[in-house]
Amino acid sequence: MDRPSEEILPQQPPVIEPGYTFATITDKISSIVLTRPVSNGWLIGFGISFLIVMVFLYAVGYLFVRGVGIWGVNIPVGWGFAIVNFVWWIGIGHAGTLISAILLLLRQAWRNSINRFAEAMTIFAVACAGMFPLLHLGRPWLFYWLFPYPNTMKYWPQFRSPLVWDVFAVSTYATTSLLFWFVGLIPDLATLRDRAENRAAQIVYGILAMGWRGSARHWSRYETAYLLLAGLATPLVLSVHTVVSFDFAIGIVPGWHTTIFPPYFVAGAIYSGFAMVLILAIPIRRFYGLEDFITERHLENSAKVMLATGLIVAYGYGMEAFMGWYSGNRYDSFLLWNRLHGPYHVWYLLLLAANIFIPQVLWIRKLRTNPLALFLISGVILTGMWLERFIIVVVSLHRDFLDSSWGMYYPTRWDWVTYIGTLGFFTACMFLFLRLLPGISIFEMRTLLPEAEVKSR
Amino acid sequence: MSTFGVENRATMAPPVARSIETRSLLVGVVFSGIAIVGWFLRPDEFFRGYLLAFMAWLGVTLGSMAILMVRHLTGGGWGMVIRRILGAAMRCIPLMTVLFIPILLGLPRLYPWARDLSTIADPHLRQHVEELTKSYLSTHGVILRAAIYFSIWNLLSFLLTRWSREQDRPNPRDNSSRFRAVSGPGLILYAFSLSFAAIDWVMSIDPSWISTIYGLMLLIGELLSGMCFAVVVERILVKYEPMSEWLKPDYVHDHGNWMLTFVMVWAYFCFSQLLIIWAGNLPDEITWYFRRFHGGWSAVGIALIFFHFVVPFLILLSRPFKRDIRKLVWLAVWLLVMRWVDLVWIIEPNFSPTLTLNWADIILPIAMGGLWMWFYFHNLNQMPLLPMYDPEAREVLVPAHE
Repeated sequence: MDRPSEEILPQQPPVIEPGYTFATITDKISSIVLTRPVSNGWLIGFGISFLIVMVFLYAVGYLFVRGVGIWGVNIPVGWGFAIVNFVWWIGIGHAGTLISAILLLLRQAWRNSINRFAEAMTIFAVACAGMFPLLHLGRPWLFYWLFPYPNTMKYWPQFRSPLVWDVFAVSTYATTSLLFWFVGLIPDLATLRDRAENRAAQIVYGILAMGWRGSARHWSRYETAYLLLAGLATPLVLSVHTVVSFDFAIGIVPGWHTTIFPPYFVAGAIYSGFAMVLILAIPIRRFYGLEDFITERHLENSAKVMLATGLIVAYGYGMEAFMGWYSGNRYDSFLLWNRLHGPYHVWYLLLLAANIFIPQVLWIRKLRTNPLALFLISGVILTGMWLERFIIVVVSLHRDFLDSSWGMYYPTRWDWVTYIGTLGFFTACMFLFLRLLPGISIFEMRTLLPEAEVKSR
Repeated sequence: MSTFGVENRATMAPPVARSIETRSLLVGVVFSGIAIVGWFLRPDEFFRGYLLAFMAWLGVTLGSMAILMVRHLTGGGWGMVIRRILGAAMRCIPLMTVLFIPILLGLPRLYPWARDLSTIADPHLRQHVEELTKSYLSTHGVILRAAIYFSIWNLLSFLLTRWSREQDRPNPRDNSSRFRAVSGPGLILYAFSLSFAAIDWVMSIDPSWISTIYGLMLLIGELLSGMCFAVVVERILVKYEPMSEWLKPDYVHDHGNWMLTFVMVWAYFCFSQLLIIWAGNLPDEITWYFRRFHGGWSAVGIALIFFHFVVPFLILLSRPFKRDIRKLVWLAVWLLVMRWVDLVWIIEPNFSPTLTLNWADIILPIAMGGLWMWFYFHNLNQMPLLPMYDPEAREVLVPAHE
């Protein structure tokens, strides 16, 4: 028997550190919600984000009074920060769906400790994203005109416009993500209901748990429903950002009209989404002592996903630049020149650095497992992906075919406040989520323990 | 399981592989003979058919290499059980390198940029092609770049094969990390080199037209060809020891899922390109579809929608179908035929405005296929069907639960 022995198998860090039992997992995760006192750190963090939400509401209120003229958008750049932020936020949401749905179908057990808060991240990110097109409508209270419904105005949406497809794509995405998240929460809500000491908590969690008793029949139905939802959510990972890319690619503006956009946008979305997952996971595991559940393995796997998707994005840049030159189309060549030498060239160079060059350090394994380094690189990637949308939207629009219609775009302070405001809204929601709901799936973590293995499979 | 070694016949390909090897050579030689006669009689048609055949068989070769590299990165029994099947296809790269040479002889027959440019009627197009031939699409440039692509592919194949061969013997070091270290950058190199090769060899037949997703479209087609071919070979081998012991329904299921994924991504890329170009309707882009929507070519396009996507997609949703290799193999053969149809639809309308199929479009793929299969089964017979000393091989050797 000279077959290789167990020892020479490559040692990967575990998805859960040894020494836990079903009960200690439940204790550890549920205590964050039920028994731990509110810490000063949480209060300060939540307080600051809540203040930013107030500033956001002020900016939105002022927008409703004065109209979109307070933003920097004007001809030729009719789409400014609003669409940039919309695409940025919706892209971030994609990692949550990828982790919860696709990795579930691919039987990747390591996802179990990060799927819950990644899904929450998706929902909050989609909420932030959805606000921008609505605010940009000018009269957001008439948003329902976007839907095809029988009305006396003989009015019907233009179905050939990708902006209408967007309405369907994003609303489907928001609904499915919310359902998926809630269905996944039910068994854990029942755990919280059973463990809560305080009457109000018992009632609220009890209502949300929808009568879950944990019987075999419940579990069997639950597993079926969850798998079906995962199947429904999987195409959304591709379709939503594909439709978002059509918003641009269907047009004929150089820099927008290129066939690589759909896969390149999807890859970019997952790229920024995983960066956001790490930006959230790294502080959460540190402050709540969850290093045993969100291990080095999770950090490294997320880093690898970022590296891979980042390279697809690089392929997109490369192909677009090459074809711009190869086609000999003067507008495409000018776009390339304008990006590199035009008035926004600093942002373009920063984008290349942040999205393509700096993340290449993730080839080094030491950095993939170093939380601080990953946190910083993720921040760089998120900035880079925001800049990418800025370049695509603004630089393509500001100098089009006729130089008589060229112009510049300058974001106003209201643009910035609205954008930062959604960041505050997102963080405030995450703070509340961490205190009110189990941030890591309790029952799915229990399935990671060796004793959860069913022998007869 | 006491001794597993190269000397152990039980792990080698069954004798049937050797008889296929001989028969393939026979088919290859006979059809090549016809093809060579055709070369002298109708050289234009010969080279079109040659390019078609070359792209089709290059697809199986490189697709197998890419799937192999994906396996090295992700692990999993599905990939271990077909690893040597894919590896034998990857080792056909030297053959494809040699078979590329005739294309160089036919450059002026295939590509407008290699011909006398003064024959191009449209002055704008002529000017554009003139500029391109000075900078990029020159004969020297194409040869130089082809040398680079083939060096990359041969080097990847050489390294992966060499380390794989070490796993046939007791080996003190674990090669998994080496495989991973090469496969990550290898996939990137593959994506870039194939995309530029696709531009040089196929897209430049129409030098006025571009599409940035083009390389990815050909790439996903290659992955699909590679997986389908592996399924066909595993069907042949599963009738005999040792594959009959190793191939479990779970693995076949995974192979079916890969086919489903590739079919879906293929449709996604093709649809994206169609929708964006159709909606833009720009004169220098729409030409590609304009040619393919007229003169009978639209029938091929519609056939592709249904038989390269809709029907395989619906069939592959069935779980019992995917788990049964005897059923799955039919779809794999079907999809390999559809890969050929797809390449016909990509290449041929550039030459003929009406739907035509030449003798060469059929004879050449069979001739090259015969030679390729001969080389392939020769490769397959060289090494055991499983690298026994790979730590992950154990998973395949454990008897099935079902």
